[in-house]
Amino acid sequence: MLLSVGRIVIIGFQCIYFGLVNKYFIATKKDYENAIKYYSEALEVNPTNAVYYSNRSLAYLRTECYGYALADATKALEIDKNYIKGYYRRATSNMALGKFKAALKDYETVVRVRPNDKDAKMKYQECNKIVKRKAFERAIASDEIKKSVVDSLDIESMTIEDDYEGPQLEDGKVTLKFMKEMMDWFKDQKKLHRKCAYQILVQVKDLLSKLPSLVEITLKETEKITICGDTHGQYYDLLNIFQLNGLPSETNPYLFNGDFVDRGSFSLEVIVTLFGFKLLYPDHFYLLRGNHETDNMNQMYGFEGEIKAKYTAQMFQLFSEVFQWLPLAQCINSKVLVMHGGLFSEDGVTLEDLRKIERNRQPPDSGPMCDLLWSDPQPQNGRSVSKRGVSCQFGPDVTERFLEQNKLDFVVRSHEVKAEGYEVTHSGKCITVFSAPNYCDQMGNKGAYIHLRGSDLKPEFHQFTAVPHPNVKPMAYANTLMQMGMM
Amino acid sequence: MAARRPFTDTDTADEAVRATCDDATICKRYATSKGYWKDPYIQYFVRSVGERKAPEINRGYYARVQGVDHLLDAFIKKAECDCQVINLGAGLDTTFWRLKDKNLMPRKFFEVDFPTVVARKIHNIKTKPPLSKPLIETHSTDSLLLDAHSLDSDRYCIIGADLRDISSLDEKLKKFQLNPELPTLLLSECVLVYMTPSQSSNVVHWAAETFHTAMFINYEQVNMSDRFGQVMIENLQRRQCTLAGVEACQSLDSQKERFLKTGWQHADALDMITVYSMLPQEDMARIESLEFLDERELLQQLLQHYSICWATKDRLNLGLSQLAF
Repeated sequence: MLLSVGRIVIIGFQCIYFGLVNKYFIATKKDYENAIKYYSEALEVNPTNAVYYSNRSLAYLRTECYGYALADATKALEIDKNYIKGYYRRATSNMALGKFKAALKDYETVVRVRPNDKDAKMKYQECNKIVKRKAFERAIASDEIKKSVVDSLDIESMTIEDDYEGPQLEDGKVTLKFMKEMMDWFKDQKKLHRKCAYQILVQVKDLLSKLPSLVEITLKETEKITICGDTHGQYYDLLNIFQLNGLPSETNPYLFNGDFVDRGSFSLEVIVTLFGFKLLYPDHFYLLRGNHETDNMNQMYGFEGEIKAKYTAQMFQLFSEVFQWLPLAQCINSKVLVMHGGLFSEDGVTLEDLRKIERNRQPPDSGPMCDLLWSDPQPQNGRSVSKRGVSCQFGPDVTERFLEQNKLDFVVRSHEVKAEGYEVTHSGKCITVFSAPNYCDQMGNKGAYIHLRGSDLKPEFHQFTAVPHPNVKPMAYANTLMQMGMM
Repeated sequence: MAARRPFTDTDTADEAVRATCDDATICKRYATSKGYWKDPYIQYFVRSVGERKAPEINRGYYARVQGVDHLLDAFIKKAECDCQVINLGAGLDTTFWRLKDKNLMPRKFFEVDFPTVVARKIHNIKTKPPLSKPLIETHSTDSLLLDAHSLDSDRYCIIGADLRDISSLDEKLKKFQLNPELPTLLLSECVLVYMTPSQSSNVVHWAAETFHTAMFINYEQVNMSDRFGQVMIENLQRRQCTLAGVEACQSLDSQKERFLKTGWQHADALDMITVYSMLPQEDMARIESLEFLDERELLQQLLQHYSICWATKDRLNLGLSQLAF
């Protein structure tokens, strides 16, 4: 045994070995493995030798143990930050791991200290090219299939601290008890543990991804459903809806028609509550995507800022992925069609077209998916350019033709604030419902929801007014209308 | 040393009003940083761009600034710079510096605000060369008259005063060479609404009495008796900000009335929706593409509840009543 022979002997072997590796460069993998072994032993005896770490790092690289190579290179530099070879090794390790930006930094260091080293310069330039190329690719890629946050999460190993007194899923599942506790917890402005949030998001993503883009349900004669419009982060008004109309359940189904987040101060609480109920009653609680369930809107109107402040950017990423799986429209008893925005920029769109939409993406600038989230009705016949600058405005004749072609009775949509909380237009064929009262704390509008009974499918309107809420500024957005107007 | 008098309700209200100076400056700072209009001087009053503001707020301020500047510049041109400007409740406004850059300076530019606001502004001017240089350049001697609450130079003067004490204001302005014979433009942006109707009446009356050829531009709330207006009043109340003069903000007519019945010959008023539509459309198209507006209704409502009213009297027959959009 080498160790027993004594220190010098080990080092002796080391040097011989290392000499072999470097000078002749015809080493095999086995050679490197041996080198690793010997360097490790040497390091046991002499743990502060940067050279050994660096050399072992090289050996690891050659045996494709890039993580270990990186660790060793880093350790070498910890011991001796002026050890240039250490930077080299670390850069190489990072390159191998695909961490090009990190590698570039180290190459820069080497080039700076050894400006005449041609090899260093070449490696630097190569690395720089790769970094630039990747940045360019990222910039031009819009809706490419990205790697899901879910894959990089390890929810199981997230621990909930002992001092967390908030709600937790029961056996990893959302229960009614959990929902009630969570709603109270949120009401008191307390934070849900990120593990619970992640659990809900991962589960709801899975659930939503199995749904078609057009959800079709049947209400039996004795059943009814409550359709709500935009809620926009107005959590306390959402609680009020549940107070007035009862909590969701198998006998009290709900459909929330998009725009759950942004503008209001409590977008997180709204969306997690809605997702929770979706998991609890998957066949009696429905969510449709609104134009605010998109990256652009979230970036501008507060949701992204709110999540980044309350949790992390990674969690926002996951929300973004979940939003992409929200269905775009719902058909009730083959007679009533519900979507957030409205009808289409062109005639001839059928329910089959809607079923076929590949929705797992950010909405395009035009086309049926865009229209479903963005269009608005107008009083006059025909179509006009939208006041919003995207999609279109559609008249009663467009609605009439669409309904006829698809054998429907009327559409229900949201998307526009209405003073009375709802509006019936196009001779009853196009109904708007909006459920965020006193929108932005300034508009003074009522909110409304619709009862639709399976027996007659005649919409029944219920209005409600805003309830007080804690004075909390939305994250990325001052609730500016409330606070200022224009002083 | 006098005993410190207790902090009264009026003090709280005044403090809240002074705070609106920051609101306006911060909003303008953000809007200019996004490119809505150019103001190279505002950064010397508020360094950091701050939190994101809603697009409708940015557009609203754009309309306000463009609207007021349009009338102001038109007046100065009409008088061929042989005039004065008095900005009442000026806050941290940068118009003086803008006019200097544009070579459209009146004979003298006066600013009035609460002493604490003025002290802040003077401090900024003193310590930032881009602000002080233009003053010094336009001053005949080497030194400016400077104390805690006032700064006087040949072309620019800022005075700390309380607009509710008109006689004291008059005295101070005259001390700093206010010339009642010169055509004078008075400007107040969201100022009169914080005073009682009688206090603001005193201000506009004093202006009518003091100047024979003048224009008074008033930007503030209007159409306040509807739900939106009521909610705004409530919201501001919660910030301890009382719109004491909201009575005059009932309608465009009431805004005009307050001038016509205090000695002004002619008055016009437009709500900001109209002003918005009358601003140069090319630039409007440019700013509308800066940020996406998800909900038009909010902007409409906002613009509908602010107005520009301008009143004139024109002994010199300069044609002031023709100035419009």
